[in-house]
Amino acid sequence: MNCALEFKGVVKTYGSRRALDGLDLAVPRGAIFGLVGSNGAGKTTALAVSVGLLRRDAGTVSLLGEGMFDPERHAGRVTLLPQDSRLPLHARVEDLLWFYGRLQGLSEGTLRESIDEVLEWVHLRDRRRSPVRTLSHGMMRRLTIAQAFLGRPELVLLDEPMSGLDPREAARIRAILKRRHDTQTVVISSHDLHELETLCDAAAFIEAGRLVRQDSMDSLTRRSRRVTYFLEPAGRPLPMAELQQALPGATWEQALEGAELTVKFFDETARAAETNARVLEILLRHGVGVLEIRRGSNLESEYFFATDAHGSSVTPLPPARAATP
Amino acid sequence: MARSTLRNTWTVALHELADSIRSRRAIVLLILYVLGAVAATLLFVKALHEIENQLEKAVGVAEAQRVGGTTSALWKNRQFKEMLTHFVGSSDAATRLLSFTPLALFYGWLSFTFTPLLVMLMSSSRISEEIWSGSVRFVMFRTSRLSWCAGKFAGQALQLLVALLLSALAAWVTGWCRMAFFAPLPNALDLLLFALKAWVYGIAFLGLATGISQAVASPNVATALGFVAMVAVGILSSVAGWVTMQPWRTILDTVDMLLPGGHQMDLWLTDVPHALPGTLFVLCLGAAYALAGYVSFSRRNL
Repeated sequence: MNCALEFKGVVKTYGSRRALDGLDLAVPRGAIFGLVGSNGAGKTTALAVSVGLLRRDAGTVSLLGEGMFDPERHAGRVTLLPQDSRLPLHARVEDLLWFYGRLQGLSEGTLRESIDEVLEWVHLRDRRRSPVRTLSHGMMRRLTIAQAFLGRPELVLLDEPMSGLDPREAARIRAILKRRHDTQTVVISSHDLHELETLCDAAAFIEAGRLVRQDSMDSLTRRSRRVTYFLEPAGRPLPMAELQQALPGATWEQALEGAELTVKFFDETARAAETNARVLEILLRHGVGVLEIRRGSNLESEYFFATDAHGSSVTPLPPARAATP
Repeated sequence: MARSTLRNTWTVALHELADSIRSRRAIVLLILYVLGAVAATLLFVKALHEIENQLEKAVGVAEAQRVGGTTSALWKNRQFKEMLTHFVGSSDAATRLLSFTPLALFYGWLSFTFTPLLVMLMSSSRISEEIWSGSVRFVMFRTSRLSWCAGKFAGQALQLLVALLLSALAAWVTGWCRMAFFAPLPNALDLLLFALKAWVYGIAFLGLATGISQAVASPNVATALGFVAMVAVGILSSVAGWVTMQPWRTILDTVDMLLPGGHQMDLWLTDVPHALPGTLFVLCLGAAYALAGYVSFSRRNL
């Protein structure tokens, strides 16, 4: 695999505590990649180790297939949005980005264009001459996101990028991140699993400094192998015989007294869209009220499942829908 | 490699200077230096006037109303030179000291005495502040740790140079306004020379401040340590000058070589055999102190 970021057996200790305990990870180039883990799982440490902010104790980290982070080689090509770090308060927004861009080796013309671009992305063009200290918390957060994309780096590491953003700005940033797909590699560490599910092509679950599972988002959430239908409660009886006949290789699960119907198919050639078309046609023909259709599982359930199996102490509450009588 | 390191060092230095101005830290520093120079020069002129009047009274001539005349005459007097030779222990040194104007000598004493204090107060928390706030993390993947630290050092050194030059200008303007027998050009040149000498001397303390700032993550602890280090350096230098008993004399002489105070007299002198090695040694001391801190910073988890 052509990796933008690769960890092999990375160990990082703080005193007697192992923050990273032989972490293996491979982030494919051009991916929007999610890092998922509980507090203290090692996500922030992993990102900081990547760019040399923290010294690792063992193992190797390779960036852009060129070995360990080296500012001479990687400056401007790899950037980071660090967690819980304050920007210098006295600098003006534009001056600060100018300073960062010059350190990245950007020419004046490129830097000017890049500053305009990233400030536009984060809605801060009108505050470009404002001192950082006069920005609100959310604005500062947006500025930290802007600095990470300055000069179109090849690999962008974002640690909790959406924390502190209002819903509208968060949606805007999500849309921008989605557009990075295939042009840049973006690694996002976040506790918002729904956000990661909608944004990322792939994700890794990390617990206690180790990789629990890494896969494409399709595989993690079984998007291509599972469709769930939320049906009108106490509606007509389901035409299970006809459904089974239409999709002989699939298995069916009913829950909530028939209000939830899940079809799982294991045939590699089967496509969720085609399957859905056939199932939906049968359900509607029999007058079954279909309220919602969902592809695959959700990342949260899969994360709980994977980390529980791994021995994590996390005990999720049952999903709200399942708890509803 | 070296080119980008130097380019980034310069970029960081200019940003540091601009940041000091924006944060008003530099303004405070400049005001301290300028007001300090003006106030001290006014006191000096007043004291000089009183000394001149007492001298004139002692020799039975009419007291002059204008400051500087008697001193100018005294400066050219052979007996006074002999007296000074007796104080400093060397006719050469006395001749060199008398080649400076009285105001420049006073400014030299003032700047050599107070520059270390101001440097330690203003600079010893500069890097630790950024470690503490985490703002250093936005920079460390854009440049090497060495070029960032060197840039911080260079930016502070530039700031100190501007402050000292402005304070010399302030002393010159004050002297020009308040002293009747004031030679503008010789005073300007001598004050400039002493501002540069004080800057070189201040670089050693800046190295000490930068070294501490790199090694300590808390700005408050760094400032306190900077102050303690400055006092310790001052005490060691003084003790080195007093102790005559062997083997302490030899040990303290060696220690004194590693302290800025041990080279202060070389900086006061203008002849090349003293001034050049003294200047180089003090600059190297500053770099060595800063590098000692860098050893810690280069391994630090940020």
